[in-house]
Amino acid sequence: MNDLCTDIGYISLAKYGEQLCGDHVDIIHKDDGTTVVVLADGLGSGVKACILSTLTSKIISSMINNGMSIEECNATIAATLPVCSERQLAYSTFTVFHSLLQSEEVEIIQFDNPFVILLREGEFFEFPKTKIEIQEKIIYCSRIPVQEGDIFILMSDGAVHAGVGKILNFGWKREDIIQYMKPLSVVGYTAKTLTRILIDECSRLYEEKPRDDTTVCTIRIRKREPMNLLIGPPSNKDDDIKMMSLFFSKAGKHIICGGTTAKIASEYLQKPVIPSFNYIDPAIPPVGHIEGVDLVTEGVITINRVLQYAQNYLTDNDFFADWNFKKDAASLISCMLFEEATDINFFVGKAVNPAHQNPDLPITFSIKMQLIDELVLCLEQMGKRIKVSYF
Amino acid sequence: MIIVICIGSSCHLKGAQRVVEKLQMLVIENQLENKVILNGSFCMGNCTKGVCVQIGEMIYSVSPESVETFFQNEVLHAVQR
Repeated sequence: MNDLCTDIGYISLAKYGEQLCGDHVDIIHKDDGTTVVVLADGLGSGVKACILSTLTSKIISSMINNGMSIEECNATIAATLPVCSERQLAYSTFTVFHSLLQSEEVEIIQFDNPFVILLREGEFFEFPKTKIEIQEKIIYCSRIPVQEGDIFILMSDGAVHAGVGKILNFGWKREDIIQYMKPLSVVGYTAKTLTRILIDECSRLYEEKPRDDTTVCTIRIRKREPMNLLIGPPSNKDDDIKMMSLFFSKAGKHIICGGTTAKIASEYLQKPVIPSFNYIDPAIPPVGHIEGVDLVTEGVITINRVLQYAQNYLTDNDFFADWNFKKDAASLISCMLFEEATDINFFVGKAVNPAHQNPDLPITFSIKMQLIDELVLCLEQMGKRIKVSYF
Repeated sequence: MIIVICIGSSCHLKGAQRVVEKLQMLVIENQLENKVILNGSFCMGNCTKGVCVQIGEMIYSVSPESVETFFQNEVLHAVQR
């Protein structure tokens, strides 16, 4: 059993003036660790293109996921896609990325999108393609072994056309994109961040007014990284030891949130809690330290901030520079959960802190539970595997 | 003398950070760096009375506004004695 997994990030820009994007990315994660990503670009723009690409990506991802061949997918698409009344065509390009990480391989199937870019150890890596023809379509298939750190960049043609006739005469060529991304690929950025950097550059070249739907999807092959977060004492005091022993028996890093919770952990480990006065961000209580725990923080206020960062991460991510560099408790947790971790175990204690049930304080019990629920939802949207246990 | 200030959630919301800053300042102003040690603590279990500040066995309820009075009455007197 190997421990590789995929870190996937994608962003689409709609053509200037359109509300809908005519590109679509569909991702299916299976429990056995295989992942199917399909990037489709529908003919034209707006609603019509959006329908074509959504249908195409959904059909292909579900069929591939269920073990059907590309020939069968193609036949289904041909039979299903509505024909454009203007052009008498039913057309959508697609790129399929199918990770078979059990065998440390990926399968890539490409039809009419710019070719997938593979960056390995900071260099461009040309992988072999087999050309096949299905119903007059030329499709390129590849099956390649992967290694940790490999970065695959999937694009719609909007990315390579960025700047055509405006800032650049012939647009941004695939070669230019390779040169642009090469140095960035070794920094250790997540797929989401790499995607953001590339799409921002495309948008800049278009002078913020994309003349075509533009989509970038970055897939990074990385190692699984488990992470464990404990918050709140158990509702029954007798469960203290049970909760602690389960928590500390898990592989990976350990984060403890909450003052009382930290005390219970400190008793369990027989190591003192050493708090600090290091107020890096005056709104966030400082971190503490317990030997054997990777991070000790305050509970609700800190997690509330982490949730804000998580929600922002899934939208425009403009707080990235804050949490990625600052060293306050909420930023540290954000880095560990959003960037480092792939599998996160939450240990949530349901004890009610009587002192927090004061109407003057915005930290009631129900708020704590709500924070955790929302945070879990955000992390799942980031593609993390989450397990929550209540005590 | 060791002064322990609670920096748990509840006390934080009631201004623990400002209490810490003011105490640090007062210690320096009164040149008590060698006599007074400031320590933090996660929740002391007395959240309703926050911000909790502990000297020896006694737990005092201090607010950012009352820090100076607290310092005069409880710290300066004890140290100068």
